[in-house]
Amino acid sequence: MTVGNSIDAQDLIVDYTSASGTVRALECPAFSVEGGSNIAVMGPSGCGKSTLLGVLAGLARPTSGTVKIGDETISTLPERERIRFRRRCLGMVYQADNLLSHLTVEENLGLQLAICRNDMNNRQPIAPGELLERLGLASLSKRLPDQLSGGQRQRVAVARAVIHRPAVIFADEPTGALDAESAQTVIELLVDVHQEMAATLVLVTHDPNIAKRLERVVTLSRSRAASEQRRVS
Amino acid sequence: MLARYVLADLARNPRRTLSTMLGVTLGVGLFCSILFFVDGLSASMTQRAVAPLSIDMQRIVTERVGGALTLVQRFDPAGAAKQGDRIRVILEVHNPGDVSANEVIVRSIPDKDLHFVAGSAMLDGAGLTASADNPFASGAGPTGYNLGVAKSGTTTVMSYVVEAQHNVRLGDTAVNSSFSSRESVIPVAANKPSVVPLDELAQKISQVEGVDAARQLSLVDLGPDSLSSNGRTASGPAKLFGLDADYAAHDPTIKLIEGGIRADGAVLSAESSKAMHAKIGDKVTVALPDSTSFDIVVSGIADVSQARSLFSSRRGSDLEAFIYSQHSMIVSPAVFFDTVIPAFERAATARGSRLKNPPVREIDVTVDRRYLNADPATALIQTKRIAAAVSAVAAHQDFLLDNISNTLGVATGDSTVAKRLFIFLGVPGGFLAALLAGYAGNVLADAQRREQATLRIRGASRRHLLRMLAIRTAGLTAAGSLVGLILGYLLASAILGRESLARATTSRLALSALLGCLGGFVATGLALYITGRRNIDREINEDRARLSRSVPLWRRARLDIVGCVVVVVGTAGALRAHAFDGASGSVYFGRSVTLNLSLLVLPIAVWFAGSLVAARVVGTVLHRTQPDSTSAIGAPLSSLYRLSVGRRPWAIGNGAIIVTLIVALSTSLAGFTSSYDAAKANDARYATGSDIRIVPGPTARRTYTTDQAGLFRTDGVAQASAVVYTIRNVILRSARTSDPANLAAIDPATFGSVAPLRNDNFPTGDADAALRTLQTDPGAVLLSTNMAQFLKAKPGDMLHVLLARGTDVQIEVDFHITGLFERLPGFPDGADAMMSIHQYIAHVPSKTPDFFLASTTTRSRAGLRRALTSLGQGPAAADQLQITTRATTVARDQSSLAALNIAGLVDLDSTFALAMEIVTIAIFVFGLLLQRRREYVTLRAQGLDLRTIRLLIAAEAGTVAIVGAIAGVLVGTAMGYYFVTVLRPLFVLPPSYTLPLRTLLAPIGLVLVATIACTLAGARLVNRLEPTELLRDE
Repeated sequence: MTVGNSIDAQDLIVDYTSASGTVRALECPAFSVEGGSNIAVMGPSGCGKSTLLGVLAGLARPTSGTVKIGDETISTLPERERIRFRRRCLGMVYQADNLLSHLTVEENLGLQLAICRNDMNNRQPIAPGELLERLGLASLSKRLPDQLSGGQRQRVAVARAVIHRPAVIFADEPTGALDAESAQTVIELLVDVHQEMAATLVLVTHDPNIAKRLERVVTLSRSRAASEQRRVS
Repeated sequence: MLARYVLADLARNPRRTLSTMLGVTLGVGLFCSILFFVDGLSASMTQRAVAPLSIDMQRIVTERVGGALTLVQRFDPAGAAKQGDRIRVILEVHNPGDVSANEVIVRSIPDKDLHFVAGSAMLDGAGLTASADNPFASGAGPTGYNLGVAKSGTTTVMSYVVEAQHNVRLGDTAVNSSFSSRESVIPVAANKPSVVPLDELAQKISQVEGVDAARQLSLVDLGPDSLSSNGRTASGPAKLFGLDADYAAHDPTIKLIEGGIRADGAVLSAESSKAMHAKIGDKVTVALPDSTSFDIVVSGIADVSQARSLFSSRRGSDLEAFIYSQHSMIVSPAVFFDTVIPAFERAATARGSRLKNPPVREIDVTVDRRYLNADPATALIQTKRIAAAVSAVAAHQDFLLDNISNTLGVATGDSTVAKRLFIFLGVPGGFLAALLAGYAGNVLADAQRREQATLRIRGASRRHLLRMLAIRTAGLTAAGSLVGLILGYLLASAILGRESLARATTSRLALSALLGCLGGFVATGLALYITGRRNIDREINEDRARLSRSVPLWRRARLDIVGCVVVVVGTAGALRAHAFDGASGSVYFGRSVTLNLSLLVLPIAVWFAGSLVAARVVGTVLHRTQPDSTSAIGAPLSSLYRLSVGRRPWAIGNGAIIVTLIVALSTSLAGFTSSYDAAKANDARYATGSDIRIVPGPTARRTYTTDQAGLFRTDGVAQASAVVYTIRNVILRSARTSDPANLAAIDPATFGSVAPLRNDNFPTGDADAALRTLQTDPGAVLLSTNMAQFLKAKPGDMLHVLLARGTDVQIEVDFHITGLFERLPGFPDGADAMMSIHQYIAHVPSKTPDFFLASTTTRSRAGLRRALTSLGQGPAAADQLQITTRATTVARDQSSLAALNIAGLVDLDSTFALAMEIVTIAIFVFGLLLQRRREYVTLRAQGLDLRTIRLLIAAEAGTVAIVGAIAGVLVGTAMGYYFVTVLRPLFVLPPSYTLPLRTLLAPIGLVLVATIACTLAGARLVNRLEPTELLRDE
């Protein structure tokens, strides 16, 4: 799935209006990711990493500039179409698991499938049981999120993000609240799944050790004037 | 620092601040408005209670006719006596009157320190007896000395000597002397001050502070056929009144038809004028009991048929009973005093004659009602003070009937009952406000969980958080209380009327404001603080788990079961102790309604227990209907809804509890009001005898007969029935004893269909059977149980009835008792016996009924108006008819409880309940948005469309609303039933519980509208949810 899941963003500017005036949260002249590859976005706090992720994932619109995923310019899509695109093509993993606390593990996965059901376009989703088996969570499928450890919950969150075989996976500090061992497991899982599905992976992290695991690293600076790219082996 | 942070936080979250404050505002508003309402109503009670009084106070002159005799006692030497001194006690009996006094007995009893000296007694200078006993105090009685006749203008002197055993001061109490006579059997003390003439007494009393007017009235019963004119006699007994034009001018019930009151003329009753064909200028001859008579010219004709001041009984046994006499005449006080009184004195003092009904002379006092305080308790103190001042004017020569104080005494009791009643109906509202504040606090504290966790991470200790909570609670409750106070005043003023509220004193209103604010502040503030504190003490992780699955505290403590046990045990106990059978109030008996406040526990327990049981049922059902865990999720909306309500049933249950409580309160109040109104209408119908009572006025052009009831069957009138009834119109004689009694002669064929007869009032059968007996058995008479007990008679016994007692057609007829009854509708004085009107007219030549009873085709107000209109356009347009209805009876109800604006209170409670209903739904909806914001944002980020999220919120809020409304109606129905049962003493007749379905639509409809409105408002917030929030975790 190398075609249709590349990311190309040009002249991105995101401004917020606050009581003290307009604050520029992001200024990114160019950002592109080849379809099926992975990339880590790093930078100091407040440099706009999450803002960039939000704009790329269609969670928010940029003040100016364009974001294109595959052939679709999502930055110009109306709200309803953006939501539709999100559920069809994107998977999200956050710092917190954000699982629905009153749904069991398998119900959380099943709900994502139910939400995407009409937009799958003949794509076959991954069977929840199979996915949970692979993630070592099969025995926990009937448990509620608060009956799981933090690492287990984040693995379920990853499963929820990929179960519908998205074209692009966005992950915002997915290991931020985990211990090192759990973090390692989650990153391995994300990388494995993205490679297996040939999906594009964009991962925001503070941790250089995690960033090393990915093909490319982009570092945003506070000046937001430009981004620097570096290819890693 | 903390205070600044809290204030900034409150300002930063205006929705959260406002919704919390609303709970407090409504609580304080409800407390205050109920207290203001009570103040306003109490202030109307004095006015209401005293309005129907015909005479405020009556100073009855006790001096008997032929009682001009005086006894003077003095000592020789006067002053003080030392031990061993001998003193002569001199007694002078003087008769300054025009007639002799008979069988005059003088009694003189020296103090124990003064010993009678044997043989010292003298009569008119001659020795009386040589005996050692004091002849003026001889025997164990002691009976005194019989002087015989004291002739007019004579003085008799008696004396005796006493020896002092110790030093004694010689005053009136040293020797206790008195006299009595055949004409004045009550002993009169020696040296009694001379009687102040009636006009002078009236003049002195009118100067007492608080007295508006004092007018003299004299009245006496004349014998049968005492009035005659133009060769015709007014057949039957007559009454004669002595009053002046000023008295008549101030008594609106004395309606002058022609002419007026003149010093040398007489005003005839319309009936007497008609009977004797006497017109103004004609001469009327009045026969007096000493066989003399006097002639007087007719100066006016009046309708006195409703003059309570003239015809109210002055006898202690039946005080205030309206004993009307068709034939009566009014003369001036001077004529009464100069002509009538001497004739009665002569009759009283004539040997062998016995005067049964001597003239009554009194001063009728009108209190200045502007002077009276609006609160009956304070007004009572004022009228008692006025009564004491009135009694002090020329004291000890008569007694005072203080009608206004008696009435205000009952009104004071009623005022206390009113306050209790309002507590009954207001307390649930107060509870609700506290619960609502607690619910708001709970929902909002949950929403603050994250913020508090952040503060803890930043170093805030538990103490800091508690202080912040205290500052927040104090700020919110203070601001809410202030707004609530204003709201309460405005609402009470709007419902009660500005004038009513203005009657209450400022200090009273200020006290109510203070109490209302304090009560509301403490109740809602505590509820807010306690819930906030509980949330602070929770650990975040624990809280998170608890949010989804934990069972609420009330459920764990099984408060619903406890409530049910309280209801069952309390009801059983109350039934066994007959606690529901309270005594109704009666102005006649000077008795207020008594309400057992402890029974208030029962409706409140039903309310709480019912709401909690409903929530338990809802929680259990939802929990059981949750789907099994599966990854095969169907449509997102239905699946999410089922999973949400099934896994978090107590969120729905807790919301439903509040809605249930509110709808239940509204339902119970609506049920209570409806039952109260219906019961009062039934009471009034019972007192009237039917829907309409038609009394042919004394000036009616035609004479109606018993077979003319059909004349009144106009449009809207279903049936009419003739009744013969007056007070003490018969003498009933059994084998054991006899007594004057009130007999009702009714038409057995129609009476049952016009009068609201109750089967339980006929202990020996049912109403239909009793009427059938009267119809078929010509010798049948029914007797009241009280009269049967007095006469020692029972069904089957013979009863001799003197019909048309006191008239020239009176006749004794033998009947047999065919049944008993407890009471009958339409006879407020109490009917003692009932017979067929056909039998009555068969024995008594008169076919004239006293009144007609008519029932309307429908019981509605519109039906009554229709019947009245048709009667007004028909028979009443052609003749003078006095028409009273069940509606006018309610308006005339002397009970100050009738002044209770129950509907107003219910409006007040309902307004607050409805406002609380809206707030509850708003708190639930916006609480969902606050508590589940992250959940909804996640769903949005997952790609769930906004519409589905909005529908999900609407479905959950709708579940709460519908479940709460249904449960509320059921619980409210039971609660209302308990209210009516507990407040049973407010009604004369046992009230039947009615539930106005149309009224119920308001709370149910409103809860649904509020749900839709809040969901729509919430939808705007859902639209604003930004999935990027998920990217900003710290």
